[in-house]
Order: sequence, then C-alpha cells, then structure tokens
Amino acid sequence: MFNSNFYTLKQAMDVSLLRQKVYSLNIANVSTPGYKRKYVAFEEYLKESEMKLRLSTTNEKHIDSSKRDITPRILTQNNTTMRNDGNNVDIDYEIVQLVKNGLRYQVLTRLMSLNIDRYNAVLRGVR
Amino acid sequence: MMNEFDIMNISATGMSAQRLRVEIVSTNIANAETTRTETGEPYRRKVPVFAEYLRRAKNGRIENVGVRVVQIKEDPSPFKLVYDPTHPDADENGYVRMPNVNIVREMVDLINAQRAYDANVAAFNVTKNMVSSALQIGRG
Repeated sequence: MFNSNFYTLKQAMDVSLLRQKVYSLNIANVSTPGYKRKYVAFEEYLKESEMKLRLSTTNEKHIDSSKRDITPRILTQNNTTMRNDGNNVDIDYEIVQLVKNGLRYQVLTRLMSLNIDRYNAVLRGVR
Repeated sequence: MMNEFDIMNISATGMSAQRLRVEIVSTNIANAETTRTETGEPYRRKVPVFAEYLRRAKNGRIENVGVRVVQIKEDPSPFKLVYDPTHPDADENGYVRMPNVNIVREMVDLINAQRAYDANVAAFNVTKNMVSSALQIGRG
C-alpha cells in the first residue's frame, strides 16, 4: 500500500521525462536533413499488459504474474515525409506536445506532494 | 537513463546550431556584393551541414544527444554575371562575376533559423519548469 502510489507516480514521471527528452530532440533536429521524428510508446504497452491473462493467486505465496515493470520504448516514425530534405518533424506539433507534457509532469509532482502530505499528517497526528 | 540536465543540453545544442546558422546567413548577406576574396574569386555562399549528435553512452549504446554542425560547405552553384564595364573587376567583355548569394533566399533561411531557435528556447523553458516543480515535491 505504501509503495504502490509512489511507485506508479514515479514511473509516470519517468516516462514524462523521457518524453520531454524525445520532444526536445525532435525540436533540436528540426533542420537536420534525413532526421525522422521519434516518439515514446508506453500507454500502448501498459494496456496490453493489463489485458493479458493473469494467473489466479489463491495463496499468498503464489507468484504474482502481473508484470509491474513496463519499460517505455523510443520509436521512430519513418512512414511520413513532409519536406524535401526527408525530415518529418512538425515543429508546431512537437512544441504543443512538449508543453502539454510539461504540464502533466507538474500535475504528477503535485500529486506526489499531496501523497507525502497524507503520510506526514498521519505521522504528526494532525488532521 | 538520462537526467534533466541532459535534456537541457539537447535544447542547448539546438540553440547553438541555429545561432551558427544565423551567423552564416549574416555572413552571406554581408558579402552579397563581394567580388574579391582571398582566392581571387567572388564570394561563395556558405551553408551549414546539420547532423544528429550521436554519442556512445556508458552502457555502450549509441545515444542521440541533440544536433551539431558537422561542416560548413560552399554552395557550388555558378556565379551571377552582371554587365558593368565600369567595375574594376569586370572582364574584357564588361561582365562582372557576382557572388551566388540570393538575398531573398537568405532572408527565408534567417527567419527559419530564428523560429527554430525560439522553439529550442521554449523547450528549454518547459524543461526548466519541470525541474523546479520536481524540486517542490514535499515542500507542502
């Protein structure tokens, strides 16, 4: 119980940071000939792992088959060409995604803080 | 695994690459009428060549850490011929070879470079805000 909230939030923050890196890379390489935009696939894998059948655990010693660690993957989008130089970065799209991702990260840090506050309240015995 | 500062460095490589591009465009515009250079030829338009900045990470994998300028090339397109017999560099037929710089094209390039620079600054600022919000965790 103590771990799970923190763990989930941490993982979400890590993915958000990785996304930030990839969007920054795309923006930095907007005028590099032949560069193809990169993106992070994570939620897709998350959904997939949720849908997979799990072994039922009837005894607490049974191994939990639900996979906790889903690693995000950096993929390259090769199938579009926007410009003559073979570069397919759409700068407006990347900036918007980057700003959205930054805001999402701030929400996650806020949630993390609130989470810590709850435990603090219990430990100090204040309402 | 990367950290926040690596991401800031990526935006920094983008900024400095675009700034170099602005410098080169400025040189081209400044020399748009230069008929004499050290080589004796008119000025040749210069173009920066951008490439992905790849580096080998600690775990041996090749990592992309931004963008860099690999070389500054000269545009091989022919010089413009202008008829001006009064020009000191005119040939026996009265033609002067002028640099292969097209001002309109340079201006388009300049605006592109500026926009790309701004985009990198915006990316840097968002990353900075992310780091400061992470530092606020647990402050109540």
